[in-house]
Amino acid sequence: MPATNSSQPDKNNVQGMIMRGYTHPWSCHLIFKFATQPGAKEFIKTILPYVQSAADWGDNKPEIMLNIGFTFTGLKLVSKLTTSDLAGFPPTFKQGPASAGSQQSLNDFGTSAPNTWVFGQTGKQVDCVVHVYGMDEPALNKLVKIVADAAVAGGLTEYLPIANGTKRLEEYATVPRNSIHFGYLDGIDQPALGWGSPSDPADLSAFLIGYPNKTSQPGPSYGNAGIFAKDGCYNAFRMLYQDVNVFDTFLETNAKAIAPKIGKSVEDTIAWLAAKLNGRWLNGSPLELSPDAPDPKTSHATAFGYSGDTTGMKCPFAAHNRVANPRDEELSEQGPPPRLIRRGMAYGQPFNSKTASEDRGLIGLFLCGSLSNQFELLYSWINTTNFSNLFPSQQGQDALIANRSMPGADTSFTIPTPAGPVEIESLPQFVVARGTAYCILPGISTLKSIVE
Amino acid sequence: MTNPLTLYVPIKQDDASQKIAQTVHDTFVATVKAGLDSSEIVHYARVSLIPNASGEGINALMLMTEFDGPMNPYLKFFWDNPGTQFAFSTIAGIALTPPNPPVKDLTGFENFINNNNLNEAGDMYAAYPQTVKEIEKAFSKEKAH
Ligand code: HEM
Repeated sequence: MPATNSSQPDKNNVQGMIMRGYTHPWSCHLIFKFATQPGAKEFIKTILPYVQSAADWGDNKPEIMLNIGFTFTGLKLVSKLTTSDLAGFPPTFKQGPASAGSQQSLNDFGTSAPNTWVFGQTGKQVDCVVHVYGMDEPALNKLVKIVADAAVAGGLTEYLPIANGTKRLEEYATVPRNSIHFGYLDGIDQPALGWGSPSDPADLSAFLIGYPNKTSQPGPSYGNAGIFAKDGCYNAFRMLYQDVNVFDTFLETNAKAIAPKIGKSVEDTIAWLAAKLNGRWLNGSPLELSPDAPDPKTSHATAFGYSGDTTGMKCPFAAHNRVANPRDEELSEQGPPPRLIRRGMAYGQPFNSKTASEDRGLIGLFLCGSLSNQFELLYSWINTTNFSNLFPSQQGQDALIANRSMPGADTSFTIPTPAGPVEIESLPQFVVARGTAYCILPGISTLKSIVE
Repeated sequence: MTNPLTLYVPIKQDDASQKIAQTVHDTFVATVKAGLDSSEIVHYARVSLIPNASGEGINALMLMTEFDGPMNPYLKFFWDNPGTQFAFSTIAGIALTPPNPPVKDLTGFENFINNNNLNEAGDMYAAYPQTVKEIEKAFSKEKAH
């Protein structure tokens, strides 16, 4: 019996972060390995009252709240599912991000190699990630303590990924809000998460398990596994170190050489180059709408496409945003481009001479109904921009975040300009993977059934 | 990067299943051609019938292919194509050990492929790093000149 029907999801049963972007300025992401089933269940039972659903909270914005995700190993330990039920989960979730299959897309070579990860590799198995949110620091700390104490009581092992295993992965409350370490505004474009339009790739059907339509069939959708997973969503949880020093040095060095060619000052060329790597200016203005300079009026614009820019003159083909959401770009495969819900935030203090050696980057929460058809497909495009036959090089890479140590990668970057192409021979590694866990954020009734 | 898939499926020994296996082999190229052509990521694909040790009948069906990029993200395109979906569903239908869970949707298909694949990326020798798209592009340019 398929555990699916066409009805609307009950928002009370869906974990909140799936359907809404929280605006709580403080968050902490606690990463655990379970020891025993009773210990794990006791832990979940203690923190369950703080789980936030997607239901509208009206004027009563919660001061503290959390969401819970399980990896396949965690789910195996705490759920009542049989081996045969568990076999029904998608292979990408079961095998995990360090597996040979996932590494075909993630391509974590060199400094990002899984054997360097602080969590999620062999010997550092992750079973559960708890995302805690607070309106202010004391509120956050209060709930983090409740979770941490419950973990100790349940015999869980906690991974502390920062400062040589001494600190938790905590959001740095950036100013302005939503800016990230390279200085870009983030969190601008998200899938609309409408409901009912089968042709809309951003439809909630592509994210929520149990509501398959013609374009997306998040699994499992049958049997006991289907019932367990219904109203859940996968979260590719990834800690991404950002090398601000390498990034800034790259911009400054190259801007000096490029400035005369494009007739701009070095300072303006730095901003121009940063925009060409990303596809939006630091303030958020998309290059497609504001090709020559950032414009406050377009800083949050989302209504634009790339199909009119077939030479990359406005936005280079390999710019991060053009790769990660090709919009109306002609794709090699049929169908709409995959989408992700991004719920990430910055960690670590801003870069300056005093903090230079500290850890900083992105706490990446990439939500999707299918880890392979959404997250990993996009990641493979990021590492090899081979998704559109229009593109001049099929081996080029996402200019901002790709893995440059991938064997055979073409790390050059071409920026078309009216005065001829600006060629950058080899892009450095700006972003390094420090750990990854593939989690499912189960429906709230499923969480309750685990501890019953 | 080119990756291998070696799908090895021991099959049932009854006459009907044996005949189906033979038909899968004989019609393979025609059945999957459109799907594989349009994917533009598959270099080669073939089905071999592994004989029983006795020399009589077919023991297993083996599908071997080399393709560009990661496997799992692209399985959706083969599941969505009627020709390739038919070929894989037919193979699953005569498997000695029926796929568990049964192949009813994309997730079932992904599991079937992953559970029966004998190779990983590191297992394969490749003489050249170019992708199907690059090769096609290079030669279609030559033709135009
Ligand atoms: C530290 C690493 C990363 C940095 C610095 C970064 C930076 C950015 C920035 C500045 C934007 C534009 C703001 C916006 O549209 O909201 C953006 C958009 C986006 N990023 Fe990233 N990103 C990172 C990692 C990733 C990863 C790993 C993925 C996916 C696997 C990803 C997928 C996307 C998507 C889908 C968009 C939206 C594009 C659009 O809708 O136009 N990003 N990123």
